Amino acid sequence: MEDMPLFVLGLFASSIVAAAIAILYSLVLPGVERKVQARIQQRIGPPILTPGFWSVLKFGYKKRVEPNAQMPGLYRSLVYFGIGIVVLLFLFTTPYWWAVLGWGSILGIAGLLKLEEVLYVLMGSQSQSFLSTGMPVPDIAKGSKHIGIKREFVEQHSAERALKMMAIGSLPLYVALLVPFAMARSTMISSVVAMQNPGYALSSDWLSAPIPSSPVLFTLPGILAAIVYFVGYVMLLNEKPFSILKAKIDLIEGGVLEYASKLRAYYYIMRNVLMFALSSIFVTLFIGIPFDPFVPVMMLLNLALSLLLPLMLAALVAFSPILTFRQIYPAAIGLSAVGVLALIISLGV
Amino acid sequence: MNLKATSRKNAIHVMVAYTGGCNGCDIEIVNAVLSPRYDVEQYRVLLTWNPREADVLIVSGVVAWQMVEPLKKIYNSIPDPKGVVAVGACAVNGNVYKNLVGDIGQNEEIWAPVETVIPVDVKVPGCAPRPEDVIAGVVKALPKILEAP
Amino acid sequence: MTSGEKRVEIEKELSFGPVHPALIEPYRIRLFVNDEIVEDCELNINMAYRGIEKLFDGLPVERALLIAERVCGICSHVHAWNAVRVIEGGLKIAVPPRADYIRVITHEMQRIASHLILFGHAFEVVGHETFAMRSFLLRESFMDLISYVGGNRVMPSVPIIGGIRPRADLTESLKRVILERVDEFEEKYKGYVARIIEDPLVMSRLTGIGFLTKEDAIKFHATGPTGRASGWDYDVRTKMDEYKPFDFNVITDESCDTKARIVVRALEVFESLKIIRQAVKNLPEGPVVNRSWKAEEMDFTTALLEAYKGELMHSYALDSQGRIRNYKIRTPTPTNLAAMEHACVGDHVTEAILTIASCDPCLTCCTRAEVVDSGKSSVLSDLEIVRKYGWRK
Repeated sequence: MEDMPLFVLGLFASSIVAAAIAILYSLVLPGVERKVQARIQQRIGPPILTPGFWSVLKFGYKKRVEPNAQMPGLYRSLVYFGIGIVVLLFLFTTPYWWAVLGWGSILGIAGLLKLEEVLYVLMGSQSQSFLSTGMPVPDIAKGSKHIGIKREFVEQHSAERALKMMAIGSLPLYVALLVPFAMARSTMISSVVAMQNPGYALSSDWLSAPIPSSPVLFTLPGILAAIVYFVGYVMLLNEKPFSILKAKIDLIEGGVLEYASKLRAYYYIMRNVLMFALSSIFVTLFIGIPFDPFVPVMMLLNLALSLLLPLMLAALVAFSPILTFRQIYPAAIGLSAVGVLALIISLGV
Repeated sequence: MNLKATSRKNAIHVMVAYTGGCNGCDIEIVNAVLSPRYDVEQYRVLLTWNPREADVLIVSGVVAWQMVEPLKKIYNSIPDPKGVVAVGACAVNGNVYKNLVGDIGQNEEIWAPVETVIPVDVKVPGCAPRPEDVIAGVVKALPKILEAP
Repeated sequence: MTSGEKRVEIEKELSFGPVHPALIEPYRIRLFVNDEIVEDCELNINMAYRGIEKLFDGLPVERALLIAERVCGICSHVHAWNAVRVIEGGLKIAVPPRADYIRVITHEMQRIASHLILFGHAFEVVGHETFAMRSFLLRESFMDLISYVGGNRVMPSVPIIGGIRPRADLTESLKRVILERVDEFEEKYKGYVARIIEDPLVMSRLTGIGFLTKEDAIKFHATGPTGRASGWDYDVRTKMDEYKPFDFNVITDESCDTKARIVVRALEVFESLKIIRQAVKNLPEGPVVNRSWKAEEMDFTTALLEAYKGELMHSYALDSQGRIRNYKIRTPTPTNLAAMEHACVGDHVTEAILTIASCDPCLTCCTRAEVVDSGKSSVLSDLEIVRKYGWRK
């Protein structure tokens, strides 16, 4: 019991260090992504820091404007919630949190991810940018065939699409998440890591770097689940080809249209941290290298391997069109089936 | 150089508003400037379609009647500091639509130049301006943005 | 319901534009949707109204060419050429064959550039940035050639009355450059088209949406590649004297969907390359401009031309002092867009916008007219609408 204050101190310290590193590191990812895309498109592309780091900083220095929203206060607060959710999501997978009230488990991850998805529904139903229905052009004066019909903002349509994506789009990711836990026969992240990387323990010395002996990734259900996880990752990030809820060509940016200046900086941070967090979770669960801020070698390994998913994402984004629900439904169902297959195999092992 | 100016210099979001004209400048801006040959992204300029995200508004075209209010609204929704670049002879002085009229004497349908609707910082003449000129115009708009509080 | 008529329940309206990433040009799409399915569509295409036809009235015919070329920035050569074809037809001005050949060469070069814009735009709407970028990169080689010929990338101003501008005459070295570039382009372009056709994701987005039957295409008078993709074998070039010396095929497709509209254009580019090669190789010697003409009174004359998007009509008369009277332009886009309004019903919202984009709309071309009936405006212009009803709040 006398360890308790020390543990709480460690928890706080590791959380602050981990969150800071995660936010800073995640600001590099969009630049990497954009650069890879640009090279695929045979052009030079922006410097690595421009789309992430410098953009966020610049938006921070812009003048505040009131968003056009039904409830501006709620709309503004959503992005703070978002940052809170993604940072917590990431922290729950760092070793100090594994012991806290069972949050370092699949329940913590799945619950927070679901909350994250709900945010897009709320954002979409709140935001009311003038870029669609509110545009001051005399279009009704022309005499429409359909008079008195509800005119929707594109963001509201985005909210409806977000609901559909919540219902079906996130299924593959959750099924894939289950696989490592099923193989470890436990719901805790600590047992998943312990199964793959027995040499790793919280109390190991600073410079030790135990290499995982049996990563989930190199088993048959693991590789299947990893593929499903990757596509689920794209779906959860709403990136092409699954970016229907913020498809540029009809919804422009969806629910986040009205975030300006500082709020837009926070939105960028939220999206980038989510991109990094899901990637880092992948490394933790499928390879067995957790993000431990007090074991720098492990942390650096995790950071380096976390580049894997964003790089694959960049290539996928460059080579794929936006899919509509005509294609998303079969794709999500098929991928979920693969995920379930992986789950069954992993339970049989 | 301070952090504020550095960050502004390193990430410039550009929005294009095309307000009626002949389409030539518009294609030159959106397609040629963003095509791999000219590729503005290498100069840290990113294209956006959301005024809330933009720093520099590129306006092309004579301002047709129905585009006046949308243009004002777009300009007003860009958070400060912001710059406006008027691209093309139409946006600068109305081009043939304003200056080469027959019997009607005066074209009331257009509001060119853009200056009469929103304040313009940089003018890029040409019918149509070369893509290099457009890039240079965006760069000319930068000092105002960098020095703003 | 006993009557065969299907009642359309409409849940809501979604409207896009005039400043929007998928449109770029100022027009407004109003989609009446049920959940994701488009039940009806309304396009407002008058945002870029400049009153161009009125500007022509009373201008000397040479000066009017300046405006004619600026009707549209994508098909600038078409408008300039057709404007001079009207007076050449009406006053029987002989055009030297060399000038005709060079006009055809510029025309086909700009057709390729225009089709590549459509690919770029359509793939941006599909969401495939890489294909869009690649298309713009390919287009640059033809923009270069146009600027070598005419001196400007967008407004080459090649035709003048009676021939072409002497500056636009093709020298031997330029002929060699054109042939080289065309070969180089064809190789790259073949690879590009093959990659599009082999891409399953892109093809699944394009196939099976935006059906426009041949009957509907004829009913709406959807000309150009839009009509030809519905199996309507109609091309003004086959009837034109200028195109008599050249051997080319009219591409048609029977599949009637958005994919067909893209594929027809993709194959037309090869035909254009064929024409350019023939024209450059067989370019006749001689003068490029016939200056022995005088503007005199001319009755209404009409000229038809196959623009890149469809059939284009220019028509005007000259008064006794050689000034233009009653200029009338009919561009392909209004009819094509009307057909697309019909074709996009039943698609998803995202696909409907792709369908509308697939007819290569050029809004600046179509919003140039005011209906004038014996000197009196017979419809309300936008200005009057605004004055009467005010801005919509």
